[in-house]
Amino acid sequence: MKYEITLPVLSDTMTTGRLARWLKRPGDKINKGEAIAEIESDKAIMEMEAFHSGYLAEPLAPTDTDIPVGQIIGYIVDEQEAATAQTHSETSPESSAEPETTKPEMAKPEATEPKIETPEAITTPAEPISTEQKSPSVSGVTSPEPKTIPPVHGKRIASPHARALALKLGVDLSHVPPGKDGRILAEDVLAVAHQAPTLNLEAGPPFRLEPLTLMQKAIANNMIATLSTPTFRTTAQISLEAIKQSAEQQQISLTLLLAIACAKTIKAHPQFNAVYTPEGMAYRDRVDVGIAVDVPGGLVTPVIRDVAERSMDELAEDWRTLKDKIKQQRLTQQEYKGATFYLSNLGVFPIVYSFDALVPLGAAAILAIGAEHNGRCSFTLGCDHRVVSGADSARFLTSLQEQLNAN
Amino acid sequence: MREEKNYWQALNLALDMAMAEDSSVFILGEDVGLYGGTYRVTEGLYAKYGEERVRDTPISENSFTGLGVGAAMVGMRPVVEIMTINFALLALDAIINMAAKIPFMSGGQYTIPLVVRMPGGVAKQLAAQHSQRLEHTLMNVPGLRIAVPSTPQDAYWQLRQAINSNDPIIFLEHELLYFTKGILDSSIEPLPIHRAQVRRKGKHLTIISYSRHVLLCLQAAEQLAKQGIDAEVIDLRSLKPIDWDTCAQSLQHTHRLLVVEEDCQFAGSGAEIVTHLTERCFFELDEAPIRVAGRDIPTPFNAQLEAASIPQVADIIAAAQRFRYPS
Repeated sequence: MKYEITLPVLSDTMTTGRLARWLKRPGDKINKGEAIAEIESDKAIMEMEAFHSGYLAEPLAPTDTDIPVGQIIGYIVDEQEAATAQTHSETSPESSAEPETTKPEMAKPEATEPKIETPEAITTPAEPISTEQKSPSVSGVTSPEPKTIPPVHGKRIASPHARALALKLGVDLSHVPPGKDGRILAEDVLAVAHQAPTLNLEAGPPFRLEPLTLMQKAIANNMIATLSTPTFRTTAQISLEAIKQSAEQQQISLTLLLAIACAKTIKAHPQFNAVYTPEGMAYRDRVDVGIAVDVPGGLVTPVIRDVAERSMDELAEDWRTLKDKIKQQRLTQQEYKGATFYLSNLGVFPIVYSFDALVPLGAAAILAIGAEHNGRCSFTLGCDHRVVSGADSARFLTSLQEQLNAN
Repeated sequence: MREEKNYWQALNLALDMAMAEDSSVFILGEDVGLYGGTYRVTEGLYAKYGEERVRDTPISENSFTGLGVGAAMVGMRPVVEIMTINFALLALDAIINMAAKIPFMSGGQYTIPLVVRMPGGVAKQLAAQHSQRLEHTLMNVPGLRIAVPSTPQDAYWQLRQAINSNDPIIFLEHELLYFTKGILDSSIEPLPIHRAQVRRKGKHLTIISYSRHVLLCLQAAEQLAKQGIDAEVIDLRSLKPIDWDTCAQSLQHTHRLLVVEEDCQFAGSGAEIVTHLTERCFFELDEAPIRVAGRDIPTPFNAQLEAASIPQVADIIAAAQRFRYPS
């Protein structure tokens, strides 16, 4: 048997991926479940497991090039000899010439080696038989070419034309805000596609163009997706004295303590855990805090789950694990998706007095914390005005201050 | 020649010209001779060409249509008039079993240069048995061609082309069109008989229709334009075959499809049009296509109920307003 290895879908926004490296070479023995390659998705590098046991066989896809998900990147075969003979179009007849000396378990009477299909035999389909009736149109009609269309994410409905346009223009449908009727039509896709003004680079100095990394693309799409959120910001000056002492005494990350304080505040102000959808306001019964983390080449937002209810030890362990995974570029999409509230802390840069952050899709608010000045830090709460109002944000910040002082 | 004509006058002129040019063309049907045709289409031809070539028949639709088939097989070019399409039900054996199949079953040894003209559609309170549309039935017959002219210009040219064709052609004339007026310009090079025509250019939606309802669609389009909805109106002119290319080209820039037919919606022409264009243009469609069609009931006699049973201008406008358009 010969099994195709296809590029897996590692996140629901992933349409292409890159092979970071092969962990096995052609002819290497592979056990089912064993890691055979590292794949770079839009957020992380992940190991890819074999679905079959056998031997890795050529041709293998090259590393460091964009490959559409689902594309064949290599093969697993049952026979080691077959693994490296794959690149030749002729199958060697020598194995069937000496049937009695090959594998004893195959020594059935008249046993012949299973014929190994060449890649050509697999990738070149037979002449397709058209079952379509030629329609009697004036000038003869043929069916349109089939196109590959990205799947529609979530529950939003996109028209066929919108989907085709999204594919053509490279727009991620999950980042297209639907119309008032909840559907994505062509105009909605075009609105997103036209958001980026075209630059005239020729007017400036000579330049070189580096292709966007998958992370850069993902960040760009995520940020553009926030543009349709009507946002306002409220800033407060809050002392971190108590919580800093607490962090030092307990040897716990200040970031984690801030996240916990936010989560407890949200428990008292549950609308901050809601998210607007055209179908209704979605109230979530668990506070999952996403924390913006600076990484080489961009940023990631690992999510700590159920921050308001779980024990400090558990949360601290989770946070350590997430940070380790970030260092190793091993964060999976389950670990960076689905936050209900976000925290961004630039307090480690003393020069930052105050800043604001974009409210990511899926949350009602994001808290941006600046560095300490005169004993206080600026807390800027960016809010989706469809979910909360100015007074809500003021009450939230007041409660948060009490939480922080209670530490 | 360029002058304003009634639809029936255009048909009359086409028959006159065809008979003058070709002695193998002859007319037969009920009351086509002495009486001049129920809708005056054969008026004056009996006097001009005599009873040999304009033949009054008994009330015997299957027989005289069959006679037409036989005459066509031996080289004549008969134009059969069936007084109304409702009576064509009696002639279906001649049409479906003979005219449509003989060229095929004879391996092409016989051609059937036959035209069967049928007035039809919902006119004015003629009740269920005299208000039918049979395009759904006839479209499903391989071997037939169906022309559905909506203007005097098309009535003239498509009838001339039908008479010249070697295929059996059903010529559907809507009874409310006979006294509509339009410019007949015989100097304009006619479109091929089965080519659709864009009657109104527009960018927001494509309205496809045929026969009398094209006129209603054009009225609807004018009113929609006042609301900022710019409709393209396509007159199919032929229901078999259908000029899909013209329809598909339109959808490529409008992305919205509305099909208007007087015939009942279920398994009707609109079903075929929508299905075919959805298959062909799926990724051009920004909205699910909409059909506006006749109700699935026998046509009522009561004038208000009769009007309510088929699409009116307001129905077409309301359907077009269901789409979301780019702001």
